[in-house]
Amino acid sequence: MRNYCFSTEVVDLDNQYPNRNKRESKYYWDELNHLICAGGFHSIEIPYEPKWDFGGRSGIPRTLRSITTKFETVAGYMQFLKENGIGSIDCVHMNPSLFCRGVLPMYFGAMEHFASEAISFAAEAGCKVVTLSVTPPWFQVHNLLGEQSEEEFLKETKAVIKRLAAQVKTAGGTLCLKNEYWGLLRGEKITAFLDQLDGEVMLDLDTAHLAAAGDDIEKVIRDNAGRIGIVHLTDTSFEDWDETWKTALPEFPAGGATKVFTDPGFGKVDLKAVICCLEKAGYQGTYVFNPRNSYDISRSILRTRYYIDTQLDR
Amino acid sequence: MENNIKLSHMNHWKTIPYKKIDNFRDFYYEDMSNNCYFMDWDRILRYHKATGYDGIELAPWDLAEILGLFGSPKEFTSFAADHGIEVSGMFHGCDDSHIKEKHEEVVAAGKAAVDTLKQFGGIHLNTCPGNNYYGNGPLDEEGLQNIASCLNEIGRYAEDNGIKVGIHNEFFCVTNKLNHRRLIDITDPECVHYCLDTAQVVLMGDDVLDFYDTYKDRICTFHWKDTADPGVADEVRYAKDVEICDDGHRWFWEPGEGTVPMKELWKKVAESGFKGWVSIEDDGAPDYLAAMALSSYYMKQVLGKIYW
Repeated sequence: MRNYCFSTEVVDLDNQYPNRNKRESKYYWDELNHLICAGGFHSIEIPYEPKWDFGGRSGIPRTLRSITTKFETVAGYMQFLKENGIGSIDCVHMNPSLFCRGVLPMYFGAMEHFASEAISFAAEAGCKVVTLSVTPPWFQVHNLLGEQSEEEFLKETKAVIKRLAAQVKTAGGTLCLKNEYWGLLRGEKITAFLDQLDGEVMLDLDTAHLAAAGDDIEKVIRDNAGRIGIVHLTDTSFEDWDETWKTALPEFPAGGATKVFTDPGFGKVDLKAVICCLEKAGYQGTYVFNPRNSYDISRSILRTRYYIDTQLDR
Repeated sequence: MENNIKLSHMNHWKTIPYKKIDNFRDFYYEDMSNNCYFMDWDRILRYHKATGYDGIELAPWDLAEILGLFGSPKEFTSFAADHGIEVSGMFHGCDDSHIKEKHEEVVAAGKAAVDTLKQFGGIHLNTCPGNNYYGNGPLDEEGLQNIASCLNEIGRYAEDNGIKVGIHNEFFCVTNKLNHRRLIDITDPECVHYCLDTAQVVLMGDDVLDFYDTYKDRICTFHWKDTADPGVADEVRYAKDVEICDDGHRWFWEPGEGTVPMKELWKKVAESGFKGWVSIEDDGAPDYLAAMALSSYYMKQVLGKIYW
């Protein structure tokens, strides 16, 4: 029996869509649990996003601050989730791109501070997997680098990750790295980076990101067998012909507007084959479904459930 | 004949991810919804012009993405001008201004905001004077003087650069019902002006008509919006994270949909002969296009019959 989890990253808080504003109120997120539960999912992934702390948007349950503001304690939040159909948080995703502005020391300082906070939150919530976006998008990094090179940036990134990995290990969990298609370690580049981390850090295999980077997903699975800590079953039909990954908003390809990330089954990634390959490689962990930044959350949840029932679990 | 009033719109559309969508029909067919109607600056600016606005007020939290898409403020301004839209101003927040040790940092950030706005061609830097009340209030006289000192220094720099700093006091701000008038009184009238947010002042529990009579000479622009919650209780205004309500309650409404005495206030605006930008601010609206259209109609067809 596979463990399926649904990501609340399905909710787009950053970009303009009709009726977006209600997404900052607590009632919206309370109800989201019911929608996810009604779709047959009983565990969630939380994107740890401190951006909303700074605006006092604590109705959005994405950080320790917001959760303790509305539920007093993490235990109180977990109890609330249980009473509303969600039994566990199975993955916490920390993306440090928010801090990729200003100066480099500030980026690394904020990344480590908030990733550390995310790890503490995960431990308190009983979540065993924390996944970290390994670098911000290429465009943002290059705006910040100044005189420094990518190599120096990655060297410092590695040092921070090693410290975070030690913290996760102490907490009894696993630190994974997510390599988005717009990052410095896109596609297969992540493999060599993981090799340098002494087996302490695992891979977050995100299928749509690998596909958008033009990589052979099954090869990445084989190359990283034994160190895949979490899987995001995401779909896309996007083909990056003109280096969209290097642009300011790589999730929104200028010149050929499209939705990069689709609901599962609506893109070109053969997720059934991916699961088959993962199981052959011995993967027994959680599968997170993440129709990231959906245009229609309820529809995405139900489409995912239909896809699971008719394609993956058949 | 040129009008006295120029209508602008404080941009609360969230991050707009495209500059211009050329494959609009293809994009529509991807999910056959109205999402693609609200995802590029080209169409958002068209909506501004089509619904009767001549200006847009920028939000500083959108600048990184705007500059990523357009490359420079000048390019954005030029693109907006092609749509018949000027940048009227920008919002700014003076966080930590009440803390003496933060003075230099706060002033530097304010001057940087002035520089940015100047590059966009705007003239109004509408400035929240400080942090939220929660965790920072109540302020003593020294704290208030520290805020005034920051505003004066930023204001002088702004005047030298053709920009007007206008205090924009949120109802949950550290300067609040008991001292927001005093803050105006202790700032330099030559360089610190006031952006009258018609809803925020009413939410704080002040009399907006009396406020206008008292400070009309300081008012350089408006955030014109309505509320149905006059005089929100202290324990609400001073609480943590009150801007967004847990249950979806809205503090702000389109002009005419709340209880602010819009016509009476506008008559006073007419009597004082105000000339300049008036920004509609529709934060909290579920449908910005509808809110922009409703607001513009009210301003031009209802208030506009009194004065324009």
